[in-house]
Amino acid sequence: MIIMNYIASFILVGLGIFCIATKRNLLKICIGSGLIDYGCNLLIVSVGFHDGGTAPIFAIRELTRASFFVDPVPQALTLTSIVIGACSTAMTLSLIIMIKKQYGTLKADKIRRLKG
Amino acid sequence: MSEFISNFPILAIMSLFLGAFITSLLGRKNAVVRNVIVFISMALALIMMLALIKPVFIEGKVIGYWLGNWAPVADWAIGIGLEVDALSLFFGLIITVAVFVSGTYSFTYMSHDDSLVNYYTLFLMLSGSVLGLVLSGDLFNMFVMIEIMTFTAVALTAFRNTYEGALEGALKYLVVGALGSSSVLIGTALIYSQLHTLNLAQITALLTNDQNIVTGIAFAFLFIGFGTKAFLFPFHPLAADAHAVAPASISLMISGVLTKCGVYGIIRLVYCLYQNIDRPFVQYLVTAFGAVSMFICVTMAFNQHNFKRLLAFHSISQVGYVITAVGLGTSLGLASGLYHAMNHTIFKGLLFLTAGAVQHMTGSLDLDELGGLSKKMPRTCILFLIGAASISGLPPFNGFGSKWMIYQAAFEKSSQTGNVFFLVVCVTALITSVLTLASFVKVAQSVFFGQLNPKFENTKEVPLAMRIPMWILAILCIVTGIFPGSVANKLLMPAVNAATNTRAYVSAMMGEAYAAAHQVVHAGAADVQLIGVYSPMSWMLLLLSITSAVCLVAVLGSPEKKKLEPVVGANVPNGPMTPGSIPVTSQSREADERELITDDLDPKYESFFSGEHAEYSQVGGSDLFWGFKKNWRHYFSFMHEWHSGILNDYALYGACSLALTLLLCVLFL
Amino acid sequence: MTNVLLYAVHLFLFPGLLFIVVMGLLLAGIDRKLVARMQNRVGASILQPWYDFLKCCGKETIIPRHARKGLFLGAPVACFVILISAALFIPVFGGLSMSFEGDVVVILYLLTAAGVAIIVGSAASGSPFAGVGLSREMVAMISYELPFVLVLLAVGALCGQDSAYGVTFSMDEIVRWQTENGSSLLHPAMIPAAIAMLFVIPCEIGMHPFDIAEAETEISEGTLTEYSGAPLGVFKLCHCVKMYVMTALFCALFLGGLSTGILLVDALLEVVFCIIVTFLCMTVPHAICARFKVEQVFKFYWTFVSALALISLLLVWIMR
Repeated sequence: MIIMNYIASFILVGLGIFCIATKRNLLKICIGSGLIDYGCNLLIVSVGFHDGGTAPIFAIRELTRASFFVDPVPQALTLTSIVIGACSTAMTLSLIIMIKKQYGTLKADKIRRLKG
Repeated sequence: MSEFISNFPILAIMSLFLGAFITSLLGRKNAVVRNVIVFISMALALIMMLALIKPVFIEGKVIGYWLGNWAPVADWAIGIGLEVDALSLFFGLIITVAVFVSGTYSFTYMSHDDSLVNYYTLFLMLSGSVLGLVLSGDLFNMFVMIEIMTFTAVALTAFRNTYEGALEGALKYLVVGALGSSSVLIGTALIYSQLHTLNLAQITALLTNDQNIVTGIAFAFLFIGFGTKAFLFPFHPLAADAHAVAPASISLMISGVLTKCGVYGIIRLVYCLYQNIDRPFVQYLVTAFGAVSMFICVTMAFNQHNFKRLLAFHSISQVGYVITAVGLGTSLGLASGLYHAMNHTIFKGLLFLTAGAVQHMTGSLDLDELGGLSKKMPRTCILFLIGAASISGLPPFNGFGSKWMIYQAAFEKSSQTGNVFFLVVCVTALITSVLTLASFVKVAQSVFFGQLNPKFENTKEVPLAMRIPMWILAILCIVTGIFPGSVANKLLMPAVNAATNTRAYVSAMMGEAYAAAHQVVHAGAADVQLIGVYSPMSWMLLLLSITSAVCLVAVLGSPEKKKLEPVVGANVPNGPMTPGSIPVTSQSREADERELITDDLDPKYESFFSGEHAEYSQVGGSDLFWGFKKNWRHYFSFMHEWHSGILNDYALYGACSLALTLLLCVLFL
Repeated sequence: MTNVLLYAVHLFLFPGLLFIVVMGLLLAGIDRKLVARMQNRVGASILQPWYDFLKCCGKETIIPRHARKGLFLGAPVACFVILISAALFIPVFGGLSMSFEGDVVVILYLLTAAGVAIIVGSAASGSPFAGVGLSREMVAMISYELPFVLVLLAVGALCGQDSAYGVTFSMDEIVRWQTENGSSLLHPAMIPAAIAMLFVIPCEIGMHPFDIAEAETEISEGTLTEYSGAPLGVFKLCHCVKMYVMTALFCALFLGGLSTGILLVDALLEVVFCIIVTFLCMTVPHAICARFKVEQVFKFYWTFVSALALISLLLVWIMR
């Protein structure tokens, strides 16, 4: 339980949402989406923390009932989430490249042929 | 053999994913090889889902499967589990049937596009991820499947990237969809922080007694996350944009399959995981979201000029019906919601496929331009009318049965609780139904009836290979409409029982003792009594008997068809010629020529134009319903501005709804 | 065998096909005559609708070039059949009907389907006037559906207060409750609903001053522009039959308790009450008012008439 990390992760998510909601440049929106992902990742990895625990990496003989380590499951989840975040960023950026070619602009309020 | 059946869920998912990878490897050169691989993997998944009907629906077993045989250790789940109960299989069947129809449709529909190997790879991955979502028994696994689903759907939406607005729609879907997926992830993290497990069955058992404010916040995040996938209000502008620009087979997938995943997530959340659907706050929350989606989207549809965008708004409206019914919290409510979910996939899929057919043959989807296509595409017209009658809720199609159950469920709920809110919901549902009918009358007149635009003189009928999937869906529409009783008994009630019977859900994965130790409730579904014993067969007999009587009278009394009489002079007998009369011979020749005038040139078969010169003047698209739109012009202009098309605004609406739900859940849950 | 025979008599004679058609034509004729008298003219004879129908059947049916023949010719037949089926579910005094538990919803849907049949018929004719006509017909349908649904809910809630769910959707149940507890009209909570229903009836039928769909002077008959001959006759017959269906529905919903048990007297009572209702809701407005505009119709029904029906529904809700 690290309060600092939790607060930081929610601030990151909040900043990411703020970015997506207010910034007009598509690249800034992409950065905002990335911020949300990073905030979530920080939250997940912080959930698994136990005060005073060691890293959950053991050889076969070393693992005993008395070993006190941080929770490895959220770390695995975070790895998966980081990969998904990378994929999402890649996809967003490739769409932005194609949009720039087609629309000629990167401003979100000019890219609105579908509306109403 | 029964042991092997428990492998079918994972095999079905694997066949779709493997099909995707094999297509990508082997399908680059040869189209036939690629189509065969795709067809086999879709068919395998469908067959396996059908084979699971017997143990899960009929015998009522819950199939639990631990991946890699990592069974629970010391009453704690350590592996990823797949759990197939009747609710999951219900959605699994809807998904595999829709995937199969969409795949066979796209063999012909997409044949003119290039890089089709990418299309089919993405399509099979989309199908695999969706099937994995509903069969999954693990919360993080559901999140991963949601992400795969989002990415592939976005890529497929942008597939025809030269199409106007395709990339824009895909970007909006991706960014705001990412907001929703992150919401699910945060919810998962918060649940893990409290319960230290990700297995759905174990979460159900632990949450029975152990709900606190953090799990309440997680509920809000998960609800909004799944709501984004189901395109509830205010996430519906994404759906409108994405459906309009995606190829028609993908529109079917998005509207028929992806939205159902969101619905499945919400049902699992409130009925199984949290089991808090019997609390009034949760009922109000879910029903309110559903009712608002339902009403606002159907009114938005009156303003649309694009055929598929209009269909997209109706899609969200019908999903609103489903969520409203699910949120009522009664067994009848859940049953009617599931019935409508199934029907929605079928008739919405049919409508999108007919829109795709129109687009394929004419190249246009503009309601102000099209018209009179029923002469050129008569069979597509019939299929469209079947779909339109289903969605409007006309008997004997399936929309009528499910909507009737929803009305009854809403009214019963309002009588039971004495609450006016549910009465308002019931009346809203009825009005939405009429407005849906109005909207489809508008589309029918604008696209299929009326006058043919000279631009589309050379349109032909859609090829048979595209009509066969549409006919499959149309026949399903009719069959599920004529036998609502057997649909209810065989498909709906097992699913409803499974959703409410959390004891069986938990014990299938974690063992009976575990379920007992955590006092998981064993509530079966209450007996569902339909108020109206709706027996369509006796209706059909009644209508047939009267029709035959009327036709008999008509046939007996019909006058002979009169031939066009030649004009004066031809029958003048050879008598004395009166002065001033025209010679008989030339007149009779004129008369002969007149007799040769066929129906094509006879002016009496023209449309009546009250004396004006006949020209192309189609009344369709924006010209219809102006009297109705005039009264609502302030509302419509406000909504037109509100759906601004700017990505930032849509993200802002989503974030606001997330904040609002969080606030409500913290205060009242 | 006698059962089948009885069923056939029920279906085709009384209160089936023949009775409905005769009643419809009678009401239409009486309405026309009364309007004429109120406007200080002689007017046509009471049997005029019947003569019109026969004359139409003798004329040639011209199918326009742009029309979809199957739908164009099938729509009038479908409309007629649907209306007769709807009428069979309405209990005439004496309780003769083919009622079952959900039939109020069935009647509602069948009336909607009849409107759809008219719309499909006019869409199939391919004329621009028909396009405008069907748009107006749809607006009329949207307009009256809301108050109609509210009135049905109010009556269902009143007559179903003893049942398990608090509401009944069965006409038989409604009539039975009224025979035991007195007609709905006698309960003061139902008066606004009765007035709302009286307003709904002319819009449903497409009667002046709410006949925006078949506006002869504005859009040259709108939905029926391209029809001629026997199909036109059948559509006119549908119009007359709808008059009977709606007035009989009013009698069943609000005057259901009055039944003497003698078949002939009951049938006569039905005829008399239908004529009275026709006079109140159709003849009087027809003689007095000009045709409403499209947006006026919509606004009127969704504000004033719906408010009346809603008041009734809430009163019933509160007083249960």
